[in-house]
Amino acid sequence: MNGLISRIAEHCFWLGRYIERAESSARMLMVTSQLALDTALEPAELWLPVVIVSGEQGPFEERFGLDQAADGELVQHYLTWDADTLVSLKQTLGAVRWNARAIRDVISLEVWETLNELHVWMGSAAARTTYEKRRYDFYRHIKRQLELVVGQLRGTMLHDDALEFILLGVLLEQAGQTARTLDVHHHAMSLLEAQTEDPLVRAMLWVALLRACSALEPFNKRRRGALQGDLVARFLLLERDFPRSVRYAVRLAHRRLVRIRPPAADALPGGQALAQLHALNTWLEDLDPASVAGAGLHAALTHVVEETASICTLLGRELFAAGAEQ
Amino acid sequence: MSDLFRDYTPLPDTWDEMFAERAQPRAPFADPLEVVRAHTPDEYEARQALAEQLLLEAGVTFSVYGDAQGTEKIFPVDLIPRIIAAADWDRVERGLVQRVTALDHFLDDIYADQRILAEGVIPRELVLGASQYLKEVRGVKPVGGRRVHIGGIDLIRDGDGRFLVLEDNVRTPSGVSYVLQNRLLVKRVLPEAFKRAHVRQVDQYPSRLAATLRSVAPVAADDAMVVVLTPGMYNSAYFEHSFLARTMGVPLVEPGDLFVDDDKVWLKTTRGPERVHVVYRRIDEAFLDPTVFRPDSLLGVSGIMRAWAAGNVTLCNAPGNGVADDKAIYPFVPDMIRFYLGEEPILDQVPTWTCARPDERQFVLEHLDELVVKAVDEAGGYGMLMGPQSTAAQREAFAERIKATPRRYIAQRRVELSTCPTWIGDERRLEPRRVDLRPFVLSGADGVWVLPGGLTRVALPRGSYVVNSSQGGGSKDTWALRGATEEGR
Repeated sequence: MNGLISRIAEHCFWLGRYIERAESSARMLMVTSQLALDTALEPAELWLPVVIVSGEQGPFEERFGLDQAADGELVQHYLTWDADTLVSLKQTLGAVRWNARAIRDVISLEVWETLNELHVWMGSAAARTTYEKRRYDFYRHIKRQLELVVGQLRGTMLHDDALEFILLGVLLEQAGQTARTLDVHHHAMSLLEAQTEDPLVRAMLWVALLRACSALEPFNKRRRGALQGDLVARFLLLERDFPRSVRYAVRLAHRRLVRIRPPAADALPGGQALAQLHALNTWLEDLDPASVAGAGLHAALTHVVEETASICTLLGRELFAAGAEQ
Repeated sequence: MSDLFRDYTPLPDTWDEMFAERAQPRAPFADPLEVVRAHTPDEYEARQALAEQLLLEAGVTFSVYGDAQGTEKIFPVDLIPRIIAAADWDRVERGLVQRVTALDHFLDDIYADQRILAEGVIPRELVLGASQYLKEVRGVKPVGGRRVHIGGIDLIRDGDGRFLVLEDNVRTPSGVSYVLQNRLLVKRVLPEAFKRAHVRQVDQYPSRLAATLRSVAPVAADDAMVVVLTPGMYNSAYFEHSFLARTMGVPLVEPGDLFVDDDKVWLKTTRGPERVHVVYRRIDEAFLDPTVFRPDSLLGVSGIMRAWAAGNVTLCNAPGNGVADDKAIYPFVPDMIRFYLGEEPILDQVPTWTCARPDERQFVLEHLDELVVKAVDEAGGYGMLMGPQSTAAQREAFAERIKATPRRYIAQRRVELSTCPTWIGDERRLEPRRVDLRPFVLSGADGVWVLPGGLTRVALPRGSYVVNSSQGGGSKDTWALRGATEEGR
């Protein structure tokens, strides 16, 4: 077979997106709950950004009121277990497993077993106990199992279009997620930074942001410990060699889509999605680092978030519905 | 020393698969069972728990119908194997090849010249009046020459240890994935006993199945595009559908992934349409093609029956097979074997009364408390009356149903199904539980092949005769032993 069944391609793509979304969410909750132990920040300053990054500001405000974001336990419970929000870890991992089950025959046994074990564990008493008694271990377990899955995807699957679609999903989600995290935290932290002169507090804020993107050590290697807001932002947006930077994720996503749908193959569906991803990649490659300081950063990140969302819509229309009108 | 078998006692008048008498395993099975015997109840329970955990983690589950939550359960596995001696298996194997061959001839005949009806071997109205007889199929000769590509023939063993055919499944028999999965499990959890037994392999099934499907394609086998067609992930057998697709390395598709153009079947892909040659359909034929069967149905692939009739795609199994596993036709299978093959049946079957015949119906109505009554077109343990365990009210209700539509019912004596030692967690010991056996038979252009062993299903509740997973059944690994001449193969 040359192509991939359109329905399967869509499941692959969403499997990748949900895996990345769950891992990113577990990482954010892990880092923030650690930071909460010894930070000088007000709890609301810590937890509200987490709610906003997850895209749940509206629903959270409606159900609890935004002032309740000061209740770290409530926020964690909501973003971990809540059955009524699609973004809680429980629900996201459910969506991961649902998509994986629909393509049981496409993914490798290793990938399936890891995902299924994680799903079974999330429903177990052991998971509840770990959550209650050892919060850090709870989030770390989820994060590690998902990292394992991404490794197993690359290491145990045939490198065909199914894998390309899964990794395309991972990468586009990564680009969007890093952009959103950076935007929200950079804004919140810039405000806070203005209120404090204490260099230790200032440093800690940026460390937390880097950790939330698994980027602390890579950043230190590049910048030799010079922690400034603009440098952190520039790193997360434009670093060529860091896998979670927006530029890196978009560059690889573009490469994957080129393999799925070669630029010269005019007869194949997917041309518009490819053109738009190509444009975003070129724009990021050419972006002048000096232009992303201050207000320019927010504008650039908004552009990334909007473009990735639009590319995902085009993929749905052109590739996942392919043949549907026949 | 610990003895797990010390109190194990077979039931009276019942064949026990593994034990000749109290605490005494049958001679050919004694050696591998020594390993099991030495367990303490705690040790054994730990192995059983490990097995269940492995199944859950591997996601070997079936969906429970009527459960809006999409609940999935594991199909319970009992670790004590069901062992079949080499000589017994050889005979079963020959009997199955013979039976499936005859059923294939029968289907070819009734959808063409109807010789067997013309010669009065089987009553014409019984065949043509069967709800599963598809008049649309008459005159269609499937590409590849076979109709029963995958057969599942249910066997039981009576009090004397005789294998009897209980029913034929030649539409979409399921359960083979559990055979392969149970084997993996037992090799992991009871490796010592397994190694000592010299068991015939089962893991070649997916490649045999793939070869069978390719062999009946309308194009050269090497060029054939084969797919497995599933109703979707909420179907109770979805695990098996995906398992077979994965282990054969062919795409698993849903009806919406296919379309028909120019009487050919195409797959919708990210690079446009691709031609499909063989469809292993695990979807009931009533939902296969809305233009033929159910115009109101949104499921199915419009036009796929025309594509099949035109010889452009092979459907496995062939549409129309249901008439051969109709329980009212079953009593005539020995006659089919004589008629088409000129041989005596190797496997016996259960004596059956057909309610369509007035004198037999009268006997059934007078002996409801002794008989098992079954609807001819139902499966899975539904639509049946277990006479000896029924109440007067149930019998009365059933008598009314029989009188209203006699063609729909047959009756059989209850056979004392054989038993096999089974771990009862609540009692923390082994007790006899009733079992059946579903071997799987593949028929392609190159001949007929039987998977050694098959699926042993076990009725877990005490006193139960119903082995279906929907009604408290579990399964066991089935060990068909190698013969003396096959050592080391």
